[in-house]
Amino acid sequence: MDTSLIAWFVFLTPLIGFPVSYFAGHVRRNLSGIVASASIAISFVLSFALYLGYTSPVESSINWFYSFSYGVYVDPLSISMALMVSFVSLMIHLFAIYYMGKDPNRHVYFAETSLFTAGMLGLVLSSNLLEFFLFWEIVGLCSYLLIGFWFFKPNAASAAKKAFIVTRVGDMAFIIGLAILYSTLVSYFPDPLNIQFLVTHAPEVMAAIGQTNLYIVLFLFLGGAIGKSSQFPLHVWIPDAMEGPTTVSALIHAATMVTAGIYLIARLYPLYYVSGAETLYVLAIIGSFTALFAGLLGLVVNDIKRILAYSTISQLGYMMSALGFYSVIQGSAVGFAMYHLFVHAFFKAMLFMAAGAIILTLMDLRDVRKMGGLWKRMPVTVSIMFVGALTLAAIFPTAGYFSKDSIISASYLYMTASGQWYHSLPWLFLTIGSFLTAAYTFRMFFLVALGKPRSDLASHAKDPPLISLAPLMVLAALSAGYGLFQADFLNYLGGSYSISVPLGIEYLPITLALIAILITYLLYAGERWKHIDLHKSRAYRVLKNKFYMDKLYTNVIAERAILPLSGAFSSAEERYNAGVEKLGRKTLDFGTFLRRLQSGVLESYFTLMILTSAVLFILAIVLGVI
Amino acid sequence: MLLLELYISMFILAAATFFTGRFSRPYALVVSGFYFLAFLVYSISQFYSLNGGFSAAETILISPYYGFNFTLQVSGFSALLVLLSLGVIFVAIFISDSRHGRVFFGLEMLTMAGLVGLLLSSNVLFFYIFWEVVLIPVYFLIGIFGGRNADSVSLKFFVYTHIGSVLMLLSFFSLYSYQYNNTGTFAMSLSSLVTPSLFQSMPEFWRLFVLFGFFVAFLVKLPSFPLHSWLPDSYEIAPYPVTIILAGALSIMGGYGLFGILLPVISIIPYAFSVTLVVLGVVSLIYFSLAAMSQLSMKRMMAYASAAAMGFVTVSFGTSALEIQGNIYVSNYMLDITGGMYQIMVHGLIMAFIFASLYYISRSTGKEMIGSLGGIFREAPILSSFLLAALLASLGLPGMAGFVAEFSILAGIYPEVGFWIFLIIFGMLITASYHIWMAQRTLFGPYNENLGSIPDSGSASSAILVILMIIILLLGVFPHYAFQLLSSYARGVI
Repeated sequence: MDTSLIAWFVFLTPLIGFPVSYFAGHVRRNLSGIVASASIAISFVLSFALYLGYTSPVESSINWFYSFSYGVYVDPLSISMALMVSFVSLMIHLFAIYYMGKDPNRHVYFAETSLFTAGMLGLVLSSNLLEFFLFWEIVGLCSYLLIGFWFFKPNAASAAKKAFIVTRVGDMAFIIGLAILYSTLVSYFPDPLNIQFLVTHAPEVMAAIGQTNLYIVLFLFLGGAIGKSSQFPLHVWIPDAMEGPTTVSALIHAATMVTAGIYLIARLYPLYYVSGAETLYVLAIIGSFTALFAGLLGLVVNDIKRILAYSTISQLGYMMSALGFYSVIQGSAVGFAMYHLFVHAFFKAMLFMAAGAIILTLMDLRDVRKMGGLWKRMPVTVSIMFVGALTLAAIFPTAGYFSKDSIISASYLYMTASGQWYHSLPWLFLTIGSFLTAAYTFRMFFLVALGKPRSDLASHAKDPPLISLAPLMVLAALSAGYGLFQADFLNYLGGSYSISVPLGIEYLPITLALIAILITYLLYAGERWKHIDLHKSRAYRVLKNKFYMDKLYTNVIAERAILPLSGAFSSAEERYNAGVEKLGRKTLDFGTFLRRLQSGVLESYFTLMILTSAVLFILAIVLGVI
Repeated sequence: MLLLELYISMFILAAATFFTGRFSRPYALVVSGFYFLAFLVYSISQFYSLNGGFSAAETILISPYYGFNFTLQVSGFSALLVLLSLGVIFVAIFISDSRHGRVFFGLEMLTMAGLVGLLLSSNVLFFYIFWEVVLIPVYFLIGIFGGRNADSVSLKFFVYTHIGSVLMLLSFFSLYSYQYNNTGTFAMSLSSLVTPSLFQSMPEFWRLFVLFGFFVAFLVKLPSFPLHSWLPDSYEIAPYPVTIILAGALSIMGGYGLFGILLPVISIIPYAFSVTLVVLGVVSLIYFSLAAMSQLSMKRMMAYASAAAMGFVTVSFGTSALEIQGNIYVSNYMLDITGGMYQIMVHGLIMAFIFASLYYISRSTGKEMIGSLGGIFREAPILSSFLLAALLASLGLPGMAGFVAEFSILAGIYPEVGFWIFLIIFGMLITASYHIWMAQRTLFGPYNENLGSIPDSGSASSAILVILMIIILLLGVFPHYAFQLLSSYARGVI
């Protein structure tokens, strides 16, 4: 079959699955999950067919409207991403059949997740940036709907709103970037938003629109990526988004959708590196700072899902910063970022699903301080979680070790390659980040798994049926063993792994991680942590308040600036309306006055006539006419 | 061919609604539905090649010496707007309660006939007559059937828009007399009055006077800040079907004035006028969005949303005038001209969708204040989904029709407005925020138990809402045909 046709059906199948699973759910509720999973399984098979049949990049576009086209663009980057998205999504769908099995609205859930998967696959395979944006927004819409899936919970409704508006800020930056890119390029090239054109003609594009314009465009695109991939300073929506079902968190807020921002930059990478070292440095510094920042916040959170949410933000920071190290690893930067993205998708989906299994058996209890001793009671789930935690903390020989350490090594080379002090910041941030990652991960893990149950619910926890955990086991196997394929993966994306750093630097992150695990073990495996009282510490308060970022957005910008501004405008509007009405009334009154003059009484006409003549006469004398 | 016959029979059948007694609702539905289909077939046969230029004029001579003729002509742009008006009025009639009686339906049908006549007329005399014909039935619809303060609101609506019409009439008269001065013959067709050469032959004062008259008339109708104060009250006080007519169908009049009447002279619009239009458009967008955010009534909030969306139309017209005169590359200005026309069309559709869903929600719950609803998704999921879809369409979600227009305008205006574009983005962000905030407060969250049990959407209401939603989606996902029609119309005119 034709490559481009297969590519179309990769995302059309779940798109068709969206209404079908909804209506199938009307016939029999359980059918909808099966239909949705089947449609995604087909996409996975088709993506795999693309992978097997791949020889050279294929692009096919049709005119959409005006000079915008739409179509599919198949190259190693999009194929690999499509494989990952469809595979992880399939695993999560299979688990969700169990997890959402008792929800009365599960047909809505499955319809929305298959629309989501369709949107993500469409985004991955888009051949045009405007089409990319269309799918980008479909993905955002699904995220909004799924965060608010339990719409009756006030928290869920407000988290959904927050997610929509915060990502909208990034989206608006993206759309302006598109508008500027289009309008500056259209007089030179016929189809300026075509992705293949942009990536293969990056120097010409820069020559045509000038470096300054390209900077602006790329920064605006980066704004979109920051919103979607929840990088600092637009990271605030992800922790709140944990109000949705846990499988949604696994699917959207960890494994796939949030990677769209990273993918956008990877997709347009040639534009980024031709634009100059400054743009790349911004990527590196935003990413590494986010990695550090979110890691710090993750240390003080007690909600199991929110800990994982902060770890997502932090790991996305690693991917973002990897893209900034072009000067030392060249085109492999994309491979490094994508490889970590893959590994992260595997273990994060698995960690979230394991957390979901725990939350389900604990009747929606999410506070890790109330858990404890679950390894004995839910051996399979918590063992899977253990593999996930090791991978997240990047302990040898899990895949996380390979993916994350190579990024940190690259950041070291980035530092040594340049003498500037500020080029050392990414390495510093990422290295501290690897300590923090291990610390918050194992703080969570030890609180969950070891010790004695600290609540009645925890002492009665038990494993879900083994069959429902099968997808988690597959993902666990991948998390543990995918490190073997690092070189192949990088080769496939057209890069290579050729980094040599001093041995001490090489082993620094894992040493720090092991120290962190040791410390958390001493503190959290038993009851010692209960004696630490941090409430008086100022640093703890700052962390607990998330550096006051949420307060800044909600209490200052939204409530102290936008709402009063809107109040002022609407009261000005009311006054203006009242003024117009008053003017109207005055006019009417004047009409009434004139009407009264026409009273029909002969005497008053006569009086008026005399008066008027007198006034005119006097006026004439004064003006000297007479 | 056929245009005159179609239109005259429509006018007679519409007027006949006043004599239909208790069958007025089915009668009006059948007539408006029939003419919708008839015009659809007519437009397809006329424009299947996607060339949106004018059709041949069809004329009834009345007083040829003075130029008074009844001439109908259709372009790609007016054909789309005719279809929109007929469709929107069909929706309005569909949701009208048959208890309103025949006068109500008669007035609605008269509005329809006037609006279609306005869009098809290419003779100034009848263009003006229809412009007024549209006004009067709506005045009565608000005055007789409106809510609180209906008489003063309807008077405000009438006087406000009438001031604009009078100025427009003066403009037409000035053009008419200068045309006679130049050529010695009387002419009243739009194509001979609104031409760059005639404008350039006029003294500067009169040229500015004419343009001023047109702009005031059209900006009142759009509406644009600061000529808008008729709008929120009228939209709020009018019964839902009339709000749908106002927001969906009548709102195209201002836009049609700009892109249907003034487009031929866009190249001679003075710099100061164009800049004023751009500024007014941006101010409208931000001002109405911020004003909307604090509204307590859903209907009034959406009235402001409608006005804000029209800011895009003003901006696109002003910017394209600047771009044409500033020798910007043709692809750029064609994009925002077409985007502006697209926006006029889809805005009508989206507003019809929004107000129709609000109507069903208020019928189901008896409430239209945001604070008195809450969590109704639990009891009325289908209806709530429709309202959510309408809100998403209104905030310009890609995949819905509004996005195509907004993106085209944004990409088209950038070369001229530069970084002022961020003001528009700010307006769009505010728009998104209050739409989503309203959804959170009315549809989601815990159910407001004071509402008791409420019925969900029935099959009739679902059918009409689904049709609207599908059209909006189709225009958002496959915009090519309409877009091509509009851009070829604009290319032909400029």
